[in-house]
Amino acid sequence: MPKLILLLLCCLLPASVLVGQAQAASSGWQSASHLQAELVSEYQQVVPGQRLQLALHFVPDPHWHTYWQNPGDSGLPTTLSWQLPQGVSVGDIRWPTPQAIALPPLMNYGFEGQTILLSELSIAPDYSADSIDIQLQADWLVCEEICIPAEAQFSLILPVASQAIAAADYQPLFAEAVARLPQPLSVQGQFDVSGGAFSAAITLPEAKSISGFFVAASELVDHAAVQQISLNGNQLLLQQALNTYFSSAPTQLELVLLADDGAYSVQLQQAVQASTEILVTQGQQSDTALWLVLLMAAAGGLILNLMPCVFPVLSLKALSIAANSQQQHKRDAVFYSLGVVLSFVTLALVLITLRSAGAAVGWGFQLQNPYLVALLVYLLFALGLSLSGVVQFGLGLMNSGSNLAAAKGSKGSFFTGVLAVVVASPCTAPFMGTALGYAVGQSAAVALLVFVALGLGMALPFLLLGLVPGFARLLPRPGAWMDTLKQWLAYPLYLSAVWLLWVYGRQSGVDAQAMLLIGVVCIGAACWLWGRKQLAQAGIVSMVIALLLLVLALAMPALAPAPQPAVKSPTQTNTNQHWQPWSADTLQQLRAQGKPVLVNMTADWCITCLVNERVALNTQSSKAAMALYDVTYLKGDWTLRDGAITEYLRLYQRDGVPLYVLYWPGQPPEVLPQILTPDTLSSTLERLSQQP
Amino acid sequence: MKLRNLVLAASAALLSLGLSAALQVGAPAPDFTVVDSKGNSHNLKDFAGKNVVLEWTNHDCPFVVKHYSGNMQALQAEMTAQDVVWLSVISSAPGKQGHVSGAKADELTASRNAVPTAVVFDESGVVGKAYDAKTTPHMYVIDKAGVLQYMGGIDSIPSAKVDDITKATPYFANAAKAVLAGNTPDPAVTKPYGCSVKY
Repeated sequence: MPKLILLLLCCLLPASVLVGQAQAASSGWQSASHLQAELVSEYQQVVPGQRLQLALHFVPDPHWHTYWQNPGDSGLPTTLSWQLPQGVSVGDIRWPTPQAIALPPLMNYGFEGQTILLSELSIAPDYSADSIDIQLQADWLVCEEICIPAEAQFSLILPVASQAIAAADYQPLFAEAVARLPQPLSVQGQFDVSGGAFSAAITLPEAKSISGFFVAASELVDHAAVQQISLNGNQLLLQQALNTYFSSAPTQLELVLLADDGAYSVQLQQAVQASTEILVTQGQQSDTALWLVLLMAAAGGLILNLMPCVFPVLSLKALSIAANSQQQHKRDAVFYSLGVVLSFVTLALVLITLRSAGAAVGWGFQLQNPYLVALLVYLLFALGLSLSGVVQFGLGLMNSGSNLAAAKGSKGSFFTGVLAVVVASPCTAPFMGTALGYAVGQSAAVALLVFVALGLGMALPFLLLGLVPGFARLLPRPGAWMDTLKQWLAYPLYLSAVWLLWVYGRQSGVDAQAMLLIGVVCIGAACWLWGRKQLAQAGIVSMVIALLLLVLALAMPALAPAPQPAVKSPTQTNTNQHWQPWSADTLQQLRAQGKPVLVNMTADWCITCLVNERVALNTQSSKAAMALYDVTYLKGDWTLRDGAITEYLRLYQRDGVPLYVLYWPGQPPEVLPQILTPDTLSSTLERLSQQP
Repeated sequence: MKLRNLVLAASAALLSLGLSAALQVGAPAPDFTVVDSKGNSHNLKDFAGKNVVLEWTNHDCPFVVKHYSGNMQALQAEMTAQDVVWLSVISSAPGKQGHVSGAKADELTASRNAVPTAVVFDESGVVGKAYDAKTTPHMYVIDKAGVLQYMGGIDSIPSAKVDDITKATPYFANAAKAVLAGNTPDPAVTKPYGCSVKY
């Protein structure tokens, strides 16, 4: 029993002491309308030279709120006015992360529920009095839908002694207050207010998923307007329309970012004139609904089936499916789809990994490496030979008509799917590079989803054929005509190979192209030998020779001479060429001179780019328009990897070519559409020149 | 190709929604038709040739109360004496703070010794949104040619304290006087402060 009493005493004694101490660290609660407030000190006894936190602790009624430093469209920030003895000073309010409080069409930034406003008190080392008398007058506006302004006086006397004593009872309150502060993030960031919008570019230390932001300067952004947030790797781009009452921007401002793992505070500098401006362009916005993006990706995948490099392979596969049994249809269709989807996911993962490893790559990267282009030439050529009947590939690809019995089952179907994606990949970049580049610019999860949708879209015809018996019945009956069709379909593949050969030639020069052509001959010979082996007309020696030829072919592009840098140097610029090569410096110089500039980012493998140049840029009318307005035409070539161009593309939130930007002096840069019409350039120039 | 076009079209549409027509000083003020507390209809065009002041108000808002301690009435008297049309606009939706009947509005005008040309109602908020009115009070000056010359706060100190009125720079009064003198106000755009308009 005495033990129990002792135990009780042990528990009660410190508690009663704490209550006594706690009173000294708080001003006590004050009641105002719809809000309770107290001033609390982190320490109940302080020492000279100490820095400590003071907290103004608000508990408003449910749904009532006070305001942040930028209150938004209405409201007032809480203000504190301190009276302190000589030798004691206090800092500004350390604002917690605000909440967006929407009152459509208006937007306010403030705090609902318990709110703790910290301020830092500094005591001079030579402070000699034995206590500090702290007087605070706080002014706030508390609103639900209606608003009530209030003010209150708080007073707190802290004893000064040789030892500091923390106010133990209030430590959880201060811990909570600190947890609610946005974490300062030491980053480089710039903002710009040109073009009717507040735009910011921030290089984050690591990629973060940002869901919203708060600009601390008042009357800068239209608080209720849509926030554009785009993350490209760790480069964060933000945009929001300017406030109607915007008049001038500070040189530096604070921004609070809401991330999935908490809130961060960053300091932004106003972008200096002539530095690169920040532009969130209309082409790539992050707020397109995800389902819409996925739907469009699936539609794009469906269209891929019609590409010249894919169609021949797939149409035959479709016919072979039609000839198989019902049971086999389903299995084939499912495994084929699996192969397609997994291959796209793998491609996406490779791209995301390369980018997170810091490589400046965008979609189309598979065509920027000459060796990969060479491999694709071999692949397309070999497939063509196979369709021509020179050789049979055992992937279940060519089980048309005659060798139905040779169905290779699930594995064959799966690898047909893989092969379909591989042969489709050169076709995705020139036609869909920008769209896929956009996808890759999103978070990894979204990018993967987009690629999965693309794969499903591409596999859709086979899924329908396999799973819906009605569709299979629509296909024509197999017969001898299929062999003829198969041989015809070899030619689109040869032509695709020729196109890639041309791309390779542009990348590596004519010498390397000749080497690659030798490699193509080796592939031809190897396929021929292999085909003879399949017909049992050749022995093991032929097989060995075929393998050697294959190795030789693979070595050819590696042995190819390095491309002559002179090929693309400006010294070779001939006189009737109306463009100059792009470089960031040239662009900046021209703009500093106040000249209008057209920038065209292109690549030889980008068919959209080539078409645009042919129909819209290299025409007499466009040349005349450029001459009339004295426009300097700069062209950047992304055929091979080029970090500077990738950087420039990212500035405009692009991840692929084409990109056309028109700079008119005194105007924000104008991004032209990705599909140009013959009069796009001249009409845009006319409009820009007529603006004041 | 199709995919990209779709992305482009969809996002261009979104952008144009985001940046809808902005109100600007120096440009014609948005037209409106409103009914006043006595049941008379007013159109901005009716006042061509006169300077017009628009004052967004809500008699229960503490910031409005601050200025109706005498400042607002003095401004109304000063302006209307110089042939300015002064419209006090109430955009509060039915059931919201500040929404009043015509009779109540007249009673408020009488009890506060206010002298606006008229108190007009904008229950639907159409006029308020066209002028991007965010707070009460929120002041606008439109010149004789129908051009918006000033928009923003009534003065420079955002507070609900009457004492601050004399300490503040009277942005609105300065702007209105400049317009009356045929000059362009400077500043022509300031930060409005007060309660939110109760749309």
